[in-house]
Amino acid sequence: MSASLEKGVRVLKEVIDAPIASYFNSCVHCGLCAEACLFYTETGNPKYTPIHKLEPMRRLYEQEYTVLGRLKKVVGLSKPVTDAELGEWQELVYNSCTLCGRCSAVCPVGNDIVYMVRKFREGMSASGNAPEGIKGAANRTITIGSPMGVKLPAVKAQMKHVEKDFGIPIPMDVEGAEYMVMLSSMEIMNFPEYLGAIAKIMQHVGKTWTLCSTAFEATNAGMQIGNSDLARVIVSRIVEGAEKLKVKTVISPECGHAYTALRWEGANLMGRPFTFKVQHIIEVLGEFQELGLLKTEGFEKDRLTFHDPCQLARRGGVIQPQRNLMSMVAKNFVEMPDAGYMNWCCGGGGGASAIEEGEELRLEAFKVKKSQFETVKPDRVVTACANCRIVLEEGLEHYQMDLPVVGLTEMVADHLVEKGA
Amino acid sequence: MSITHDKEFKLALASLPVERQRQVAVAFCRRVQDLSHDVRVKSALESAGRVDITEAELLMASHAAHAARVDSFAQCGRDVGWTAQAGHFVAKAAEVCVRIAVPGENIAWEAAMQTRLARTCQTVAEGLGTENTEAREQYRILENFLQS
Repeated sequence: MSASLEKGVRVLKEVIDAPIASYFNSCVHCGLCAEACLFYTETGNPKYTPIHKLEPMRRLYEQEYTVLGRLKKVVGLSKPVTDAELGEWQELVYNSCTLCGRCSAVCPVGNDIVYMVRKFREGMSASGNAPEGIKGAANRTITIGSPMGVKLPAVKAQMKHVEKDFGIPIPMDVEGAEYMVMLSSMEIMNFPEYLGAIAKIMQHVGKTWTLCSTAFEATNAGMQIGNSDLARVIVSRIVEGAEKLKVKTVISPECGHAYTALRWEGANLMGRPFTFKVQHIIEVLGEFQELGLLKTEGFEKDRLTFHDPCQLARRGGVIQPQRNLMSMVAKNFVEMPDAGYMNWCCGGGGGASAIEEGEELRLEAFKVKKSQFETVKPDRVVTACANCRIVLEEGLEHYQMDLPVVGLTEMVADHLVEKGA
Repeated sequence: MSITHDKEFKLALASLPVERQRQVAVAFCRRVQDLSHDVRVKSALESAGRVDITEAELLMASHAAHAARVDSFAQCGRDVGWTAQAGHFVAKAAEVCVRIAVPGENIAWEAAMQTRLARTCQTVAEGLGTENTEAREQYRILENFLQS
């Protein structure tokens, strides 16, 4: 056994906890998770059945933690996990799993298959079997602080640009601000207008806010690769920044996994409660709307639909606020089939879009989104995740569908009544 | 008319009819065009620069520029190449230039902003930091355009 495999197996043994054991024991092999997975439904290949993606971990669990499994191992009736096998499984655990959670949602015995995949990724990562693309993102996060290598000067450049474009100052390191706004590299690089929209909204509602120079990046590559230690380091940077600035709320950007990592996993990773609240930008906007702070004018007249990011809607339970916001700015809103809790993933979450060799499969899986769009024939798609936005645009371009994709925060900002109007 | 700041610049651009805005937007793009090596971007800008362009031609050029923009997105988790990112913003600006805009839209301002982003990416890539003179050059282009 190679040193890396030994390490991977050791990590896998460590991460097999009570929930994992009970999930493996509870699985009734019904196959419902297959029908919930876009990689299976769009390819018809049974290897993409979510529970099958965990097979090496299941065998290891059986061999190490069950009497029958131990016996089988002793008499040579059970195949040991090998380097080659884990290498083969890379495609199943990373390329063809976006951690979207649809499989967990349909499992009749309540197995959280996403939780299991994430634990399996811990072993895969430790054994060196994570894809190069995600490894690179994780390394850059450690050395630079951002999975895409975005440094503070780049953020400052975008701040300056947005200040000129929108004519609103962008605060940084303001102690005592109510909100600390996080960004994803995707927004910094591709969608600087998101930052402008935030500035406009905050000015409109009269709330104090700030960016943090030591914690502007929300993307959590540790969570995507399956490395809790790295995930903890990333969260701790944000916690230190928020506590130093004494903010009341940290706003997770339009980035699905950033939200899950900070909102749902963060305190557990840190081993203590936060001294501040964590909300997704859509939750914050929803609150502003409920409090009557958002004064909008005019409506989008074309036919719009909303793509629910998996981590926000299914894993995070935020489903209604985005619809309330849409109704404030759109007259002709149409829901796709399976919208909301059971929405289909864009195909690029969980680090999948960072894996170049997974592109062909991703585009194949995108057919399910294509079909959703074709059913309701919208003029534009609105969403609340920068990664979804890019993956959707790529898929639509690949299938030659002329369907613009826009961000909800920017759309809301566009409709705000101008100050003094 | 001498333009010295963005507020004045934006207002002057907004006062132009869409067709004239398109012409000046193309002039902004020309300065950074070489930062993109995508032929679709070049072709879209050539189309946008024609004063007799039809709506059908605009639509075709728009599809090409859109494809170039989508192809050049910085992907989640992938290392950002500043040179490539400059190309992305040129593509974004080109897409704005060939958009079938309605009165009230300020496509020239949008293009100006995207081309400034492109220039900033270039100067960052070359290790020159984020300071550059693109805004001042755009003021000069608009002044000349308004006088012509």
